[in-house]
Parts: sequence; C-alpha cells; structure tokens
Amino acid sequence: MSLPPRLGYPDLGLGVGLRSTHFRHILSEWPVVDWFEVISENFLDSQGRPRDVLEQVAERYPVVMHGVSLSIGSTDPLDLEYLAKLAALAEQTGARWVSDHLCWTGVAGRNTHDLLPIPFNEETLAHVVERLRVVQDVLQRPFVLENPSSYVTFADSTIPEWEFLSRVAEEADCGLLLDVNNVYVSSVNHDFDPVEYIERVPHERIVQFHLAGHTDCGTHCIDTHDGPVIDPVWNLYARARQLAGDVSTLLEWDASIPEFAVVHAEVQKARQHYRSSDDFRRGGDSPRRERGLRESGRTSVPGHPAVSNPVSFLMPDPN
Amino acid sequence: MSEPRHTLDEVQRWMQAVVTHPGGPLAAIESPGTPLPISVSPAQVERVIARSQALSSLERLDIYYRAYYARLLDCLREEYSVLAAALEAGLFDKFAVGYLQSHPPGGYTLSRLGARFPEFLAETRPARDSAEEGNADWPEFMIDLARLERVVNEVFDGPGSEGLPALDAARLQAIPRDRWPAVRLVAAPCLRLGALQFPVNVFFTAMSKKESARMPEPGAAFVAVTRRDYSVRRYELSVEQFTLLAALVEGESVGAAIERLVAELPSAHEDLAPRLREWFRTWTAAGFFIAVSLP
Repeated sequence: MSLPPRLGYPDLGLGVGLRSTHFRHILSEWPVVDWFEVISENFLDSQGRPRDVLEQVAERYPVVMHGVSLSIGSTDPLDLEYLAKLAALAEQTGARWVSDHLCWTGVAGRNTHDLLPIPFNEETLAHVVERLRVVQDVLQRPFVLENPSSYVTFADSTIPEWEFLSRVAEEADCGLLLDVNNVYVSSVNHDFDPVEYIERVPHERIVQFHLAGHTDCGTHCIDTHDGPVIDPVWNLYARARQLAGDVSTLLEWDASIPEFAVVHAEVQKARQHYRSSDDFRRGGDSPRRERGLRESGRTSVPGHPAVSNPVSFLMPDPN
Repeated sequence: MSEPRHTLDEVQRWMQAVVTHPGGPLAAIESPGTPLPISVSPAQVERVIARSQALSSLERLDIYYRAYYARLLDCLREEYSVLAAALEAGLFDKFAVGYLQSHPPGGYTLSRLGARFPEFLAETRPARDSAEEGNADWPEFMIDLARLERVVNEVFDGPGSEGLPALDAARLQAIPRDRWPAVRLVAAPCLRLGALQFPVNVFFTAMSKKESARMPEPGAAFVAVTRRDYSVRRYELSVEQFTLLAALVEGESVGAAIERLVAELPSAHEDLAPRLREWFRTWTAAGFFIAVSLP
C-alpha cells in the first residue's frame, strides 16, 4: 500500500528553533515565521517564563516538539514519567508532532546529555522498534525519528545507517526527521556517500527536514549548530526535496546564536533550493565530491573543542 | 549473518564508562580500577569501535569524551554564571568537574544538573588554614554565592503567583484590628528566604550586571527571593524581618509569629507597631503573600 507524502502530515513551511535568546524579540515583534520547533526538555518542567513564552508562541504559530532525552536506543527502561510529561505538553501546545533521535543518551540511570550512536544490527533494530511502538502508544500523537550525527561506528554494525533508519521507520510505522546536515557530517566521519543515503531512505515517511551548520575539524566534522548551512548541505537538501517534495523544514542554530533576523534569513535560503532542486543532477559537483574539497564554513579553534550541540540548555538570564 | 560479539547493553555500559571517565577513554581502558563490561586492551578497541579513514577508534571515542565534559561544564557555567565570574579562571571548572564526577547527571533534564552543587561545595570546602593567604573566608563566601544563585534559578523557573489574584493592601486593611493576631498569610509559592554568612546580595547584583565587585566582609545577612511577572526579585531583610517572615511562611498566625519574633529577638519590641505596618505594606506590594485566612 502506498503511503501519502509526509505520511499525510502537513507541510508547515520554513521554521526556526525557538531559543531563549530570541524570546524578547519574538514577544515584541511577533515576526512572520511559518512555525517554531521547541526543545521539549526545556519546557517539560518549566513553571516560569519559558513556559509562559511557549504558551504565547503556541497561540500564534504552529509548534513542533523536538526532544533530546527519549533515549530510544538505550537498554534502560523507557522513562514513562517523561513520556507522560511529553504527552501532556504536546496536548497543551497543540504540537503537530513529537520528534527525537535514533540514539541513546545514557544507561544504568545516567544521562550523558549526548546523542550517542547505536550499533546497526538486527538485535538493535528489534529493540528500537519495540520501544518506538510503546512511545507511540503513550504519546497518541505522530512520532518522528531523526538521524543524529555521529562520530563512531561499531564493529558489531552489520547494516548501513540509511537502511537501519528506513527499516526502523517502516517496522515501527513512524515518520522521519531527515537532518540533512547530520547526513553530511556522518558521511564525512564514516566515509559513506551522503547522496546514496538521501536517495535510499523512504521519502514518503519524511515529515520534516533539519538544516544546520557544523564545524570542520580536518579529520572529522562536528555538528555544532553554530553557523550558516554550507553549500554541500544545501545541495543535499535540494536532492532530498526533489525526492520527498514539500516538507516542513527547520533551521537549528544553538551556539553563537545571532539575532533572530539572521537565523530566519538563513532558513529562508531554502526557497532558493526549491527552485534549484530540479537542476540537482546538472548542478556540477555532487555533495560527495564537494565534501572532499573541504568547503565547510567554520574550522575548529585550537584549545576550544568543537562540541556537538544537540542540547539547547535554557537558562535565560534569571538574575 | 554473524552474531554481534557483544550485547547492546554491554556496548552501552562500556562506551558510557570510557567516554565519561575523567582521564578519557584510554585511561579508562588501561585503568585496573575501572570495571568495564567489555575487556579490550587499547590495541583491541577496534573490536568494539571501528576506525575511520582519518581517525583511530580511540581518537573517535575521544570526541565524545571531550564533548561530555565541555557540554556539562558549559551548562554549569551558565547555571552558576555569577559564581563562575566571581572565581578565578579555571577554579570554577575544577570544582565543576569534581561535582560532575561525584554527581553524574541522570534523568531527562539539565535544569537539575547543578541542584546539589552548593552542597557539594560545602562538603568539599578547603580547610580554613589551606585557603588563600589573607582571604581565609572565601570558601564560605563562595558557598553562600552558590546557594543564592541556585535559589534564584529555582525561583525563576519554579511555581509562581502569575495568574493568581494579588493580595492588595485594601484587603489587609479591611481586617478588623482585633482579628489580626489570628490571621494566617499564605505565601506566594515562589517566595524563598535565605540566611547567609555574607552580605552577598549586593555582590550578586554587581556581578549580574558584569560590574566589578569586591568580596564583602563576613556578616549575617538575610534575603528574600521571589518572582513577579516572571521576573526574579531579591530583597535584603533585617534579622527581625527574616525571623517574622520565616514564622509566617511556616504557617504561624500573625500573632504567634510576632510572639516568636519578640521571644527570639527581644530588642525587636521597640517601636514594633509602626515597623510592622511598614513591613507588611512592603511585603504586600512585593507579592510575598497571595491570600489571608481568617479562622
């Protein structure tokens, strides 16, 4: 049975991640933005200004909840209290869907607050699929799974990442949040072809795209979310849009965050790639070849380790 | 199809142990004191983690190790930004790394990451005779500062009185004088009182504004922290005000609270009536209380 594009979920347009540094601007200007994505964990327990801001934003804009602590791949039990809070917040904000990453964040009761990779094999596949079914039962709302960027692969992996991600989505019957920058970053780190990845995932399950900047450390790339999207990633995005069609697209910018207008303008560049998507195959260098040219925008600073930035920690100037 | 060498649980426990080890993955693997669920030598790490064209398995693990401490230190520096600014460069990080090792994060939220940091500082404070020469009080001051900053952060994002009807002065003035001793005041859920060993509030304000400030001389200080319209406000209190407020917040009636004040601080009896009127006017305007109950 063929599936409708985006599994039938709406195309929200071009969105921006809601970050505390922009709260004042948003509340005073109410900028024209298609939609906002919020980091779920920053609001789950908030009873102060962050929650108030979220409620005001959710009254005016479509909102999507993006999590970093589901830890779907962990061997620890699912945190049912956390899931219940996610479901309640989604209900209160009218979140169009809830997303999180194909990863684990900790085990034995700990949380590293990093998005750690899993071995891609049959054992892990069955484990993740079973847990995703539980998550979707509890949330009673569309769940969308994102491919994280990663910096190691496992000797026990037997399945390519794109195939693992595809099979998880199909067997658990969930949507995909295809982070195009993460595909690029991981392709550099793990020596695979990002175009093949983009072309092989099930496009009708792609409910959302992520875009972001990253840092090129020479021997590897780190998903730092601290700058503009580089051209090879835009090219991958154009190819993904060519295959998946109109899909909600969001820009993540979590470190060295510029003023809101700059962030918003960056995601607006995606419109140029709507038009260019038909030209992808004629567009000269493929992202894989461009990657080899090291066209990445930022390089790491000596003495300051580039840190992947899956977590936006919300502590907006309480003093 | 070949079976995995290791279970998913073994891989995860091993990886978590090596990337969170304070000395890094190599130190974790070489350390006889680190129990690991997968036993490999440094030369055998590729049995767990594949290498890439550019990096060895250990170099790839190092990326997660560096990120673990860098990310959590960033969070603690943000949560305790005043304390971090007050301490010498590197000293805050030294305390923070020690804290992360003794209190590794668990649970889904980073908002509680530093919840026990003030207690950690108190438990691990240097002995007075080993503190900096001429500044033996600084550990106590640092602990006070951390406690105040933690309270400010808790009040910022905790339960508040926004949306609740304000308790105005007219409501209090309408209470017959003879019934005042039996009145109980309901404190705002965000009201927190603190007794400190240093007058840290002025220092805290200056550092929050990124102004320079000197460590104050030691001396008992009292502070109330609350929130109005989602803004955190701090009020310096006298010992009399603190004693009375503490009794009221604990649920004592106004009469019993005043009796306690006078019993604990007999000198407070002098000119108490006009001062009480002024205090209650100030506290009402500041939103310390949200309701009154009359028996």
